[in-house]
Amino acid sequence: MITVKNLFHSYNKDGNYQVKDVSFDIEKGEVFGFLGPSGAGKSTVQNILTGLLQLQQGEATLGGYDVKNMSKDMFNKIGMSFEQSNVYSKLTAKENLHFYGKLFDNPTRDPMELLKLVGLADKADIRAGEFSKGMKHRLTFARSMINNPEIWFLDEPTTGLDPSIAADIKDIIKQKNKEGITIFLTTHNMFIADELCDRVAFIVDGEIKLIDSPENLKLQYGDKLVKVEYFQGDQVLQKTLSIVLPEDKELLRNIIENHEIRTMHTKEATLEEIFIKVTGRGLI
Amino acid sequence: MFKRIWIIFIRDLKVNSKDFISLYILLIPILFAVCINLFAPGINDTTINLALIEGENQDQVEYLQRFAKVELFKNTEEIEKRVEKRDAIIGIIPKIDGYYLMSQGDESQGIVDYAKLLVSFYELDIDTEDSKGELMEFGRSVPPLKKSLVNTSILFISVLGGMLIALNIVEEKVDNTISAINLTPTSRTSFVLGKSVIGVLYAVFGSIALLFITGFGRVNILQLLLILLVTSLLSILVGFIQGLTNTDIISAAASIKLLFLPLIAGVLSIEILGDKWQKFFYWNPFYWAYKGNDIILAKSGTWGQILVYSGLVLLLSGIVFIFLAPKIRKGLE
Repeated sequence: MITVKNLFHSYNKDGNYQVKDVSFDIEKGEVFGFLGPSGAGKSTVQNILTGLLQLQQGEATLGGYDVKNMSKDMFNKIGMSFEQSNVYSKLTAKENLHFYGKLFDNPTRDPMELLKLVGLADKADIRAGEFSKGMKHRLTFARSMINNPEIWFLDEPTTGLDPSIAADIKDIIKQKNKEGITIFLTTHNMFIADELCDRVAFIVDGEIKLIDSPENLKLQYGDKLVKVEYFQGDQVLQKTLSIVLPEDKELLRNIIENHEIRTMHTKEATLEEIFIKVTGRGLI
Repeated sequence: MFKRIWIIFIRDLKVNSKDFISLYILLIPILFAVCINLFAPGINDTTINLALIEGENQDQVEYLQRFAKVELFKNTEEIEKRVEKRDAIIGIIPKIDGYYLMSQGDESQGIVDYAKLLVSFYELDIDTEDSKGELMEFGRSVPPLKKSLVNTSILFISVLGGMLIALNIVEEKVDNTISAINLTPTSRTSFVLGKSVIGVLYAVFGSIALLFITGFGRVNILQLLLILLVTSLLSILVGFIQGLTNTDIISAAASIKLLFLPLIAGVLSIEILGDKWQKFFYWNPFYWAYKGNDIILAKSGTWGQILVYSGLVLLLSGIVFIFLAPKIRKGLE
């Protein structure tokens, strides 16, 4: 559905590339996470794919359309939820969606249905300028679905939202993916990536360091650990032990046999820990 | 394409009708027209005001009313009170052997002499038919001051159309919505045209409303439309560039006001300066637009002249476009 080959981009066109030799393929119906710290080049790649930035070097196709010679028809098939909400503050929520929907050629969704989906139905006739940051973000997210996109670009879709709204947004994303929509998710939030993505790409300093599924990455890079709390006399002791290393396995067996266990959890490495391990960089 | 141009125009209209500054701009042509009607004299108006005693000599009152504004009072004391007011008015008061003239003393000599002549002509029973002078007229049917005011107002309205465009572009910039529009099948041309429609229609309908209200409704509207459209091009360009380079409405409006300088320079050069200075203003599109509008309002313009003037405005606007187009293109990315 999306193919990118040897993509380079320099904002000053001076050979100092912010995106360097980026290549990846995304299958139809896949949720692909583009993960990296701020300034890593995530948004640059996304903006090139959506035509907001001109493709300078390399090849990219989107749903069969060449990104270099962007067809207007392609925009009927893509949707994008921006990280920074960008809605008309002088128009109401409903007017915003109504106006935007009319700019597409294909059948669009009912604005009220979308507002209901993101929990803004009761705010439909209120000007977006009076909305909180989170409400504007939800309106921007709702707008990205108005044209029933086949390829959906989501830039930090849950950033700044309270946990219950973020959970609703994640449910919508999962539902849309079930309907067969291809999703390109840009984020630095490893938890949402872990939960939603079929595959993730780690990007640092404009270069992709690794592409794989979160499960494979955990298997490959994560240590299998058990965190155990146990009583020794009146004291509660805590240990984190590998279930692979023989000496840790022996120690764990000893604790279970000789002590009263208070709590015991298996502990997988998080994507964030793997990211740091692979790239040597944090996510902030 | 036309569908999207229309949709963008309707959105702008809706937003402008909710915004106080835009609403005020939309009403300005009507305010201009009303002010011109109130303050500019008509073709038969005169600046000579006379004060007479009511019923003292009705025949004289009727005679003087043909050549001056006549106000009637009950007695000499009332005329005296009236004459002492700030404006120029001459009292004509009867005495035993004729009339004497009462003035404040600060009236121009021309006004006093004109009043004296009118009284003398009446006493000598002289009428306009008694003149031996042959009248040769240039066919001017409109008062020059009113025509100049209407002409200048038309140019102002076209600049205000640019201001309206700038305000709408600033709104897009502040709300960061241009990137969202760029992700729809709306081409950049459709967006630019859609954003321009309100400025052009404002200039067209505002100017036509102004013409009808001020009594110039019978001019050649097609000729006027041509000049208006080419003048609007310049306002659109400046509207876009100011909208894209400013981040708030006040600074955009302030920057657009700079256009009033060449506008006023063009008008004043034609109205005040002599022929030898005119060539220094040939660079100014407003200069040629004013000239074009002037002959349209005087109903003396031929299509050939209008095409020359509009062609010059178009050429000068084209030069401005060459300089501004790259900046506009970059700003819309």
